Amino acid sequence: MTPLESISEKLGITEAWIEKGGVHWITLDAAKVRELAKAMNELHARFITITAYQLPKDEGFRLEYHWDLDGQLLGFNFPLAARSIDSIYDLCEATDWIEREIHEEYSLEFTGREYEPLLLRQGDTTGVNLRDAVAASQEKK
Amino acid sequence: MSYKIPMGPYHPALEEPYKLDLICEGETVIDSKLHIGFNFRGIEHLAETRNHIQDIALMERVCGICSFIHTLTFCRAMEGLTNQTPPPRAQYIRVIMAELERLHSHVLWAGIAAKLMGFKTMFMTCFELREKVMDILAAISGNRVNYSMNRIGGVNRDITDPASILKMVEALELEMARTVIPIFTTSRTATSRCAGIGVLTTEKALSCGVVGPVARASGLPQDLRKAAPYAAYAEMDFDVPVQPAGDVTARLLVRALEIMESCKILRQALAKLPPGEIHTEGEKFIFTTGTATARVEAPRGEVMYSVSWKEGSRNPARVHVRTPTFAVMPAIRWMVKGARLADTPLIQASIDPCYSCTDR
Repeated sequence: MTPLESISEKLGITEAWIEKGGVHWITLDAAKVRELAKAMNELHARFITITAYQLPKDEGFRLEYHWDLDGQLLGFNFPLAARSIDSIYDLCEATDWIEREIHEEYSLEFTGREYEPLLLRQGDTTGVNLRDAVAASQEKK
Repeated sequence: MSYKIPMGPYHPALEEPYKLDLICEGETVIDSKLHIGFNFRGIEHLAETRNHIQDIALMERVCGICSFIHTLTFCRAMEGLTNQTPPPRAQYIRVIMAELERLHSHVLWAGIAAKLMGFKTMFMTCFELREKVMDILAAISGNRVNYSMNRIGGVNRDITDPASILKMVEALELEMARTVIPIFTTSRTATSRCAGIGVLTTEKALSCGVVGPVARASGLPQDLRKAAPYAAYAEMDFDVPVQPAGDVTARLLVRALEIMESCKILRQALAKLPPGEIHTEGEKFIFTTGTATARVEAPRGEVMYSVSWKEGSRNPARVHVRTPTFAVMPAIRWMVKGARLADTPLIQASIDPCYSCTDR
């Protein structure tokens, strides 16, 4: 069984992986994120990062989680129906700063964890969508 | 009774904006809390307001040490979106520049570490050597820091006289092997300050997701140049130094050995530099809709860029930059736990932190 098949089996999914630009991609339901973190831990994969995307208009958000498995880059795509997803910080310590950063920049909630300000120092206000806040302040000017 | 010692954000030992609150009992650190963001620049957001040419210049400023690496990673991602493959000569020039940058970064780090050990003569020796690397970089690119070498589909400047560069590399390698590495690895001043301190175990290194020399010094044999080769690295013969101890000595040894491996790669790349063009034809690129991801092994570890574009748009829809220090710095908390207060500046410096990258 290949590592990719093993991940699919652990997550109980039948969708095919898509290879694009050297990355193996799969789209998952947000509810599967903790199962994914456990599966990655079992395989000793190395967490790399989470990338947040604010989709145009009112289409919401999308998160991409990346792990490295022996040099192979794996990408997990999570379209978000709501502005929240379970935190995996307790399962994967390496996600601490990036979860905090995304919370500060996009006002997305990683449920099940506490936040402390990471990047934002002035006023220590967290949980504001900076894109919207910057756009609103520019409109005012 | 425990007490808190704030170190930073502008501590004399670490002259960059970063703060570590150390919780101590007597002289022993029992816990710590890290604070970053003092110079957060919002570069990812800025990138969405600029076109691809402006963005290359912007990304060069994510880091003052790894400026070449950042544009290389960004350009590799954009080459995925524009379907460009750089010619072989450009791939070799990219390897040469990347390894020179690694040398410059590692020697700079060695100098700073020497200063923190109280070994100022060594600091001056390292900085003198670093100047020689900077001279080579300036000879190739015309610049000492922001080299403006990368473009979509290749590089902007050629290496017209590889023999003269090779001579400079050989002189540098000799000096490293004769002076820097033996002193760092055998002198009592260095070893007594570094052995057994700031330990990061292999298990902790994996769970923290650390990268680069810090990971390799904790027994993790990860290096993208071997695991997922890019540019011309697949054609280079070199070793990936790994040390299992996880202490400051191990980090020092890994970097020292990497200096020698970089010289080995440079000699090969300069000797085998293929003829031909240095970039693809044309200046106008058609970006396809989608996201492209690129990774490169920077001197401090893996850099990853995700670039998202919408066809017809002048600017990227999203650029995400994951820098190595952002991955490594949280592990400092585990390295300083149980350490003596006086060792904490050196422990922090041992990860070769880049505050510019972290506050991108």
